Amino acid sequence: MELVDRYLQAVEFWLPKRQRQDIIAELSEDLRSQIEEQETALGRKLKDEEVEAILKRRGSPLAVASRYLPQRYLIGPTLFPLYRFVLGVLVLGCVVPRFLIWLGFVIVDPAHSGYLHMENLWTTVLYFVFFTTVTFAIMEQSGVKLGAVDCWSPRKLPPLRHPNHIPRSSSLFEIAVSVVCYLWFVRLFWPRPVIDFYGAEITLAPIWKRLFAVMVLAAAINLAIGLVNLFRPYWTRPRASLRLLSDGLGAGAFCWLLKAQVLIGISAPSLPASKAIDVTALINLCLAKTLPWAIVTTVVILCFDVYRIVHLRSFHLRGGSMRPAVNNLSNSMVSGS
Amino acid sequence: MTRSNGNHDLFENLRLELRRGCLSLAVLSQLRTERYGYTLRKALAEQGLEIDEGTLYPLLRRLESQGLLSSEWREEEKRNKRFYRLSPEGKLMLKQLGAEWQRINSSLKEIL
Repeated sequence: MELVDRYLQAVEFWLPKRQRQDIIAELSEDLRSQIEEQETALGRKLKDEEVEAILKRRGSPLAVASRYLPQRYLIGPTLFPLYRFVLGVLVLGCVVPRFLIWLGFVIVDPAHSGYLHMENLWTTVLYFVFFTTVTFAIMEQSGVKLGAVDCWSPRKLPPLRHPNHIPRSSSLFEIAVSVVCYLWFVRLFWPRPVIDFYGAEITLAPIWKRLFAVMVLAAAINLAIGLVNLFRPYWTRPRASLRLLSDGLGAGAFCWLLKAQVLIGISAPSLPASKAIDVTALINLCLAKTLPWAIVTTVVILCFDVYRIVHLRSFHLRGGSMRPAVNNLSNSMVSGS
Repeated sequence: MTRSNGNHDLFENLRLELRRGCLSLAVLSQLRTERYGYTLRKALAEQGLEIDEGTLYPLLRRLESQGLLSSEWREEEKRNKRFYRLSPEGKLMLKQLGAEWQRINSSLKEIL
């Protein structure tokens, strides 16, 4: 019976103190009853291997003990989806932008990539994960009631989303901003030998003429897309592709502008000539330093544009209509189909 | 994992889920007369409802902590054994659960 005693001792180790004796006494009694019954049937004492087989069938000591313990979790099933969402937002919001900016520096300006240490990034991620987990574990243990779970109403749920729908308000905003910026930009930066910039005279490199043309073209395409979107407020593949093209053109020209040392000279009545050279160099340096950030932003915008096209394509392949399906849904509910 | 293995695992999961509620009812019904764990398990097995010790004893404890069973340690055949029986609340619960079981069973008979 030494095997049985060893087994019981191993189970006992995992049990809560308060119930230990009681559970072990009952388990011991049950095991001994089973062994006795087999011995009676066989007419002899059980061999060690036979006792071992009985114990094996019972399961490992940890598994047996765990069945007596209440189910416990750090974060329960109600809070877990929210925990995963918050963790995802925090970690992605921390990791992805920083990684992309670091990557931008490594590619464009490796000499200055050092100040974004990636080692710090992992420490930050660990902090985020740790504190989010602790916060949610405390919420779980203290039984915090969430409004979204306990006091929700169907009427307060967010409106039905349609991925292809473009809100008219956003089109109107886009058009208004585009027109204002477009007029300001064209009026102020129209390529000429010397540009009058609010009292200061700035001279730009010849490449400005080409960059200006590309930027104006991109802005014009975007404005046209905005106008069409206003009257046909859902994305189509041609329009989404055109948006990708215009964003690519505009952002590409902007990145080139940052890299091209486009500012040749600056002069103002209150600025001495020697200072003007320093200011010109400083502005060009600042523009160059902004390049990795601009590249990251460009990549994000282009990824978003590409995602829109892919999404539209898969939506179309699934046989979905480009137009919002809200009315179809309501109609099918009314007709019961 | 092959598809047939996956199906087998799924079947096992669903079977266990189906059995879980039935076992409480079966245990309560068998404890209208006083029994200790080992004889209870044998009685259930003889009537076609196998239940392993790892499930039975925690279930007995849970039912007792819910006030549906009462138990006492007593010596029998020179060994200490824990005897369980239905408490008054358990009797009432068994009646209610039995009626519910009959209702579900007759509905399922129609459905299946």
